[in-house]
This record gives sequence, C-alpha cells and structure tokens, in this order.
Amino acid sequence: MSNLISNAHYHDFLVEIHTEELPPKALSLLANRFSQSIQEQLSKANLHFSTAHAFSTPRRLAVWVKKLAATQPDTVIERKGPALDAAFDANQQPTPACLGFARSCGVEPSALMIIEQSPMHKWVGYRQTMKGKLTPELLPPIVQQALVALPIPKRMRWGNYSTEFVRPIHAIILLYGKNTITTELLHCQTGNKTQGHRFYSKKWITIKSPATYAKTLAKHYVIADATERREMIYQQILHWVNTELGEHARALINNALLDEVTALVEWPVAIGGKFDDAFLAIPQEALISVMQEHQRYFPVEDQTGKLLPYFITISNINSKNPSQLIAGNERVLRARLSDAAFFFQTDKTRPLVQRVENLKHIIFQAKLGSLYDKTQRLIQLATFLASILNINDKNELQAIARAALLAKADLTTGLVGEFPELQGIAGYYYALHDRETDRVADALKEHYLPRFAGDQLPSSRISCLLAIADRIDTLIGVFGIHQLPTGDKDPFGLRRAALGVVRILIEKKINLNLKDVLIFATEHYHPALENKIAAAQVLEFMLERLKHWQQEQGFTADTIAAVMSLGLSCPFDISQRIHAVQHFKQTPEASSLSLANKRVSHILAKYEAQSLGNTVDPELFEQEAEKELANALTMHQQRILSLAASANYPAILNQLAQLRDPIDHFFDQVLVMTEDKAKQYNRLLLLKHVRELFLEVADIALLQ
Amino acid sequence: MKPSKYDVKTLQGMIATLQAYWSQQGCVIVQPLDMEVGAGTFHPATFLRAIGPEPWRTAYVQPCRRPTDGRYGENPNRVQHYYQFQVMLKPSPDHIQELYLQSLITLGIDPLTDDLRFVEDNWEAPTLGSWGLGWEVWQNGLEITQFTYFQQVGGLECRPVTGEITYGLERLAMSLQGVDHIYDLVWSKTGNTIITYGDVFHQNEVEMSKYNFEQANVNKLFDHFHTYEKESMRLIELNLPLPAYEMVLKTSHTFNLLDARHAISVTERQHYILKIRRLAKAVAESYFKAREALHFPLLQEKTHV
Repeated sequence: MSNLISNAHYHDFLVEIHTEELPPKALSLLANRFSQSIQEQLSKANLHFSTAHAFSTPRRLAVWVKKLAATQPDTVIERKGPALDAAFDANQQPTPACLGFARSCGVEPSALMIIEQSPMHKWVGYRQTMKGKLTPELLPPIVQQALVALPIPKRMRWGNYSTEFVRPIHAIILLYGKNTITTELLHCQTGNKTQGHRFYSKKWITIKSPATYAKTLAKHYVIADATERREMIYQQILHWVNTELGEHARALINNALLDEVTALVEWPVAIGGKFDDAFLAIPQEALISVMQEHQRYFPVEDQTGKLLPYFITISNINSKNPSQLIAGNERVLRARLSDAAFFFQTDKTRPLVQRVENLKHIIFQAKLGSLYDKTQRLIQLATFLASILNINDKNELQAIARAALLAKADLTTGLVGEFPELQGIAGYYYALHDRETDRVADALKEHYLPRFAGDQLPSSRISCLLAIADRIDTLIGVFGIHQLPTGDKDPFGLRRAALGVVRILIEKKINLNLKDVLIFATEHYHPALENKIAAAQVLEFMLERLKHWQQEQGFTADTIAAVMSLGLSCPFDISQRIHAVQHFKQTPEASSLSLANKRVSHILAKYEAQSLGNTVDPELFEQEAEKELANALTMHQQRILSLAASANYPAILNQLAQLRDPIDHFFDQVLVMTEDKAKQYNRLLLLKHVRELFLEVADIALLQ
Repeated sequence: MKPSKYDVKTLQGMIATLQAYWSQQGCVIVQPLDMEVGAGTFHPATFLRAIGPEPWRTAYVQPCRRPTDGRYGENPNRVQHYYQFQVMLKPSPDHIQELYLQSLITLGIDPLTDDLRFVEDNWEAPTLGSWGLGWEVWQNGLEITQFTYFQQVGGLECRPVTGEITYGLERLAMSLQGVDHIYDLVWSKTGNTIITYGDVFHQNEVEMSKYNFEQANVNKLFDHFHTYEKESMRLIELNLPLPAYEMVLKTSHTFNLLDARHAISVTERQHYILKIRRLAKAVAESYFKAREALHFPLLQEKTHV
C-alpha cells in the first residue's frame, strides 16, 4: 500500500507527554494502551500508517507512528435524486423536485448527472467527492481521546488546573514530520520541546523529527525505549555479579521487579553493595523480601541457592562518587535488616503456642469474629477433613490439629507486623525454633499455597488439609455475610481461594466431597451466619472456578458440561470424568453413541412421570435387535458397575463403546412406540437402563 | 544555588538552612504547633489552610509523636518523638519538584553524586478524611521526604491543590552526617563542643516509652477521649472551628496512646478512627464556612504602605 503513496504524502508522527514521575507498576500498561488507542483511532479515521512504537520512562509516555498518511483518502458519495422523467418537464426545464434536490446538494441543476440502472430506470443524481481531512487537524482529538481513555486507577489534579491525569504534565510534543502541530491539550500548549534527564540535562531540548526522538534523548541521558532499558539493566546486573563475585554467584532477577526498576530510571546504572554476613542468620525469605519489596534491590545467591551477602541496586545516575552512593544504600539496608534481626530474636522468646491467645485481638472480619475464633474453627474443620478422608494415624491426626492451632499464630509476631508478606514463613521458622515437628512447621508455611495462579501447591497431606480448611472457612464465612464477589471486586480474594482448593483436590488426587465439608463449615460458625444458603452458593462458586480452570487446561465446554450436568460435588472425581470423556470423544463410537443418548433422552423425557417398571421382560421381545441389546446390556452391566465402584471411567467408557452396534441395530430395526403398551414400556425400560449406564460417567448426550 | 551559610552537618544548621531557603520562596515561617500531633500535616497551618480557595505558603518544623514507635531508646532508627520539616505550597507551583530539589542542593546534596528518586507513594490519613497522590523521595535508597499533591482534605475536594513536602529531619540528617545511629547525630557544634541527638533526647525516649507502653492511665485516657470528642462537637455547633480542631487533635493523640497501650481491639480501632474522621470533616466544613463568611481574606489583593 505504501508503494502507492509518494514520499510527500506521508510523514512520521510523534507524540510525547512529558510528566512528573509516573507510577512504575502501571507504566508499561499505560504506554501500551496509549499506543494502542492511537493506532485504533488512526485506523478508524482511515489514516494509513506502517507501524507504531511506544516509548516510556518515569517522566514520559510517547508514541512514534511511522509513515502516517498526510490526509485521509478522498471519498466519493453518490446521491440519488428524483426519477429522470419527474426531474424535467416537457420543456426540458427542471421541475421543483429537481431544483430542490440540486439545492440540497449545493449545486446548479446543470451540474447533476444521470444515473442509469437500466434503460427504463433513470434518475438524476449527484456525485460528490468528499475531500479527506488533513492529518495534522485530526491528530489532536485522537491524542486527547487516547489520554482520556488511559486506564488510570486514580487521576489527580494539581495547582490551579482542572485537568486530571496520572501525574502533573509539563509539556506535550505533537510533531508531524518536521512540523509542530500547535494546539492546546490538557491545558498544555503543544510544541516540539521536552526535557532530558532530571539531573544531567538542564535545558529544554528540541526534537527535530519523530525519527530522531530516541537518539536526541539518549544524548541527554534518557533511554526512551523501555525494552532497551530493561535489557541494559539485565546485562549490567549480570556483568556486576560476574566481575565482582565471579561465576559461582548469580543474581535473583525477578521479572516483576525488573519491570518496576525499568520504570524507575531513565539512565540505568547497576551498582552493587554488601551487607554483614551475620544477617544471613535471618530467614532467607525475609532478607529477599527486604531487598526486593522494600528496597527494589536484586539479591545474589550461590550455586546451591543460598543467599550471599550482596545486593545490586539500579541507580539513575553514573555517580561521581559511587562509594558514597553505595554506602548510603548499605546504611538503609543495614537499618532494615537490623530491624528484622531484632524482631526475629525477640519473637523467638515467646513460643507460637503461647501466642494463640493473642489472636483474640486480631479481627478476621468485623462480622466473623477474631482470628482466634477462626483458629478454633480451623482445628474442627481440619480434623473433620481428616476423618472423612479416613486418616487414622494418630501422629498425623495430632499434627493436623497442632498445625491448625498454630496456623495463624505468627500474625502476632513483630516480624510479620513489620513484613506482612512473611506470614507463614515466619511461622515456619518459629515452629522449628519451638521444636514443633517438621511437618507442623511445613504446614504453617505451606497452607498459604497456592498464593497466585500457577503457584506451587502444598507438598504434604497435612499442609493440603490445612490449606483447604483455611480457604473453605473464609469462603463460607464471607458468603455467609453476603459479601459475594461481584464483577472485578473480590476484596477477600475468594476466586483465588476457591481455585486454590479445587487445584489442591484435583492435582493432589484428594477424593473429597465438597458438599459435606461446606455444610460442616457452615454449622461451625457461631453465631450462625446470616446467609442460610451459603454452603450451596459456595459449592456453585467453586464448581464455576473448576469449570473455568478445566477450560483453561484445554478441555472443551461440552465435555465439561457433560460431566457437570450430573450435579457432582467432588472436584477430583469430576476431573477424572472430564479426562475420560475428553478421550472418549475422540473414539470412533463417540458421535453415534452421543446421538443415541440424545434420542433416548428425548424419548424418555416424555415418560418421566410414568413408572416403567423395573425389570425388562425378555418374553416381550419381538425383534432380534431387542434381544441383542438386552444381552449386551446384561453382559456389560455387571462389569461397568464394578468399574464404577473404583471410578475407572476410561474402562467404563470402553465397555459402553461396545454397545454401539447393539444400540444402532435397535434403533434401525425396532419401533419403540408400538401400539402394544406392554411391549412399548418394555422397550422404553430397556432404553432407560442403557441411559442409566451411560450416566454412570457423564451425560454424553451433551457432547457436540 | 549558593551553599548554605549554616553548618548543614548539624541538625540545627540543617533546620536553619531549610527555613532560610523556604522563606526565600515566599513561605510564611510559622512555629511548631504547641500540641501533640502525629505529623506536620496536623498543624492548622497545613490542614486548615489547605481548605478553600485562599493561596498560602508556609514552612515550619513540627515535633511529631507516635507512641507506638517508641523503642526505649534502644533502636538506632525508631523513636516515638521526632521532627518533620513541613512545607506547604498552595496552589502547588508548576516547578514544585525543582524547588524541592534546590533545597536539597542547598543542603549540600549533589544529585550527580547521590541517587535521588521520586518513587510512587500515595498518602492517606484516615483520621483526617484526607488523601493525595505523590511520592516518597529516595536518596541512595533512603526515604528522606514525603511529597504529596493533596486531593481531598477533611472530606473536601482541594481546589486549588496544595503541594506538601515533608522532610524527615532525623533521616535526612543521618544521611548528611553519614551516621548509623540516631542518637549519634550532631545536634549542634560550637567550637569543640558537640551536642548529640542522644544528649538531647535519649532520656526522653526511655521515659516516654515507659509512659506510653506501661504507665499511661487507660481509664483516664478513655475518659479524655470522650470528653474531647464531646467538646469538639459542642464547639462545632458554636461555629468555633479552631478550638474544635484543637479538640480533634487531642482525641487523635489520646487514641494513639490508647493504641500503644493495646487498649483498643482491632474492631474498636476502626470505630475510633471513624469517630475522629467525622469530627475532622465537620471542622473542615465549619472552617470553610467561617473563611467564606470573612470573604476569604487571603484572596484579596494586599497593598503595602
């Protein structure tokens, strides 16, 4: 397409919004949406361009659109007026109708043309060429719209302005080719000037053309391209570790942190520091958390995954005195780690078990009592789970109750007070210190798993039960006070909690019927919950999560529906069936058997109310196909029922697949709705047995 | 920017430098509020002046009390009494960040040596019904300042917007002096005589921690809280927003003391915060009306003879 446009007909376009420091975690999203919105609007306005590139730094959002057409294409509009013979009178003079039409087109009648559809059908008409608008006129409203549409969680005002944006705006560049588009956007007079690095570049810089934007900024110590900056940071970290610590060390580079740091600097310079070896006695997770979350540093570990007493920070300058910069950072880290060390020491003077009482002072939810109350329920619920899963080992039962008792105790410690993200992890270390058993300590840490989509699951059975109990208690409680999640509002993280339970049950192959557990959990809330149908609602909610998750795993909607329609409430069992049905669907017998099930289901639907009796009477058979089906049924029934007892769904479906021929023959040869009621009912009963057998696994009539 | 004529390596020299600098920027240098507050924002020169359309620029030192942060004088970074240097500029000028950075340069900080960064941090004061957007300012990874554009104060929209700059004086001084322990900070240096932060405040931290955590009379404090609360409501009824506001501050500090004594359960906590917020909002509205009745005096052109 661009071949058709001569050089003079397109130019590059640049827009830059120069601001005060933007929120780092939102930056890349803002940059991408800004670029996307501009591209969408250009396309909608019929303005052709080749590609667009987004730039972002802490102090700017910019988009460079390459080869953007200088005008919209002209458009031709043909308007149809009165029929030719009504347009001119006998003297070939235009009639009032014709004059009116010409007037509406803004031309003399002589300028009208004749539109001929066929020799018999002719009209007067007018062909109008709409000149495309010039791109520089169209751009300001496009940019304005893109800014308004940005997904900004909290907009702000500043000074005396009524404008709202993420952070105050200092300048806006609108450059088309070498020309500035001057207008006012968000109270700002647009131009071609911006600022470079906050400290390296004092004067305003002129951008001569869009293509020179990044290069010009680089001269002023700004790497405008976030991807480029990110890569620089990554390489600099590797380089520092390699030259300072050698090949036995490696930096812990967390992607989210790398993104955040990229959004905090315009001129990245990686520089490393050290902390006292003695701090390595603090739990490793706490050290990492202090460095990553609080200081945005990259920790360093050795080959075995053990932390080394080093960190890397990404500064925004190439310091004149790096040792001063590092000393400052080391001082801050030292203060933080001293705090953590202090809490870690003092917390240990009081065992977790003595802290349980203090949970009475920490509220779980205003209407749901304290964490102490929750703890009591956890003990009951976890013990109940153990009993219905037939766990009889006395030691294990004791460990479950102990872990439930201590599960939340670390929330009263100074370490968790200071570093809330260490909940569970602190409990683990303190439990070991208190000489609790390893499996109790593990459960304190692991019952928070999975924390997010795709996170690892608890490793032991005790951890799993505690994780399930904790989440189910929360789900029931919050549903019980009518705080169901709506839309994107899910302040208690109930979706994540529900999916967590589902994943644990399925992936850890725990055969648990949720219905009983939910009812038990509801009954153990005192005072009783307001919402009397909470258990049923939570079940539905959890099954909904299960459905979505299975779909994400690649199972088709009809497969899932075929299983879920049976009204089951054991996630592991449901998942087993879904696997089997998905596999069955690919067998040659599937479509024919699914069709047969649909037919049977339709026929039987009319007889729901009527009793068809219980036993098929072979005496009443007329056709060979009836006997064949009945025999096949008897042959497989016994086997299927025993397979059902062990939930061997693939094998059951294998058996059922062998019914294909007898069923097909039956429908080919037998008229079910025969006049003779006795025979008719006998046949219906036979079909009913067939259908019931299939429903042992799923309603395969629902397969598409 | 000329370096300061004061010795910025002392706490008092640093304060003098900041006062001189902000005075040049048109700030009214007021004195600390003579009441217990948790932050410089509580000073009426910020909280109340941020309300309504009148322009205002002020700067001052404010002693702050946060009873729960007490560590009996044993922690190198935490104290229950410390100082903020508070600057408020209303409306926030376009170059407010530049003005702030210049103040750091005046203190002898070189932005090409030290890594200065504005890191997103949004501010909310639930007891004051106030929130704003802004940053914490980092110097080599240390938070030295809180920088906020007020959006709402006492439940009222800020028009115009106030820019608030709050320096943590001890932290900044520790960084300028290269000191690891707060009590080692040099407060003043005259000839060979050095007075440290410890000389001035260590005993205070020990005794006040004991009072805050162990000795504060809980029953009396609850009584006080309710008395101040009722007084504040009564004074609002009488259209006396300034004394009503003092009562709000008293409820707030009393609440902080009760909190340090662990006398308020988590459920009650929210309840008490809401009580204070309700008062703060009522005061804000009453103050706005009082200024309106005076025709917003600071909006009028001032002539000098």
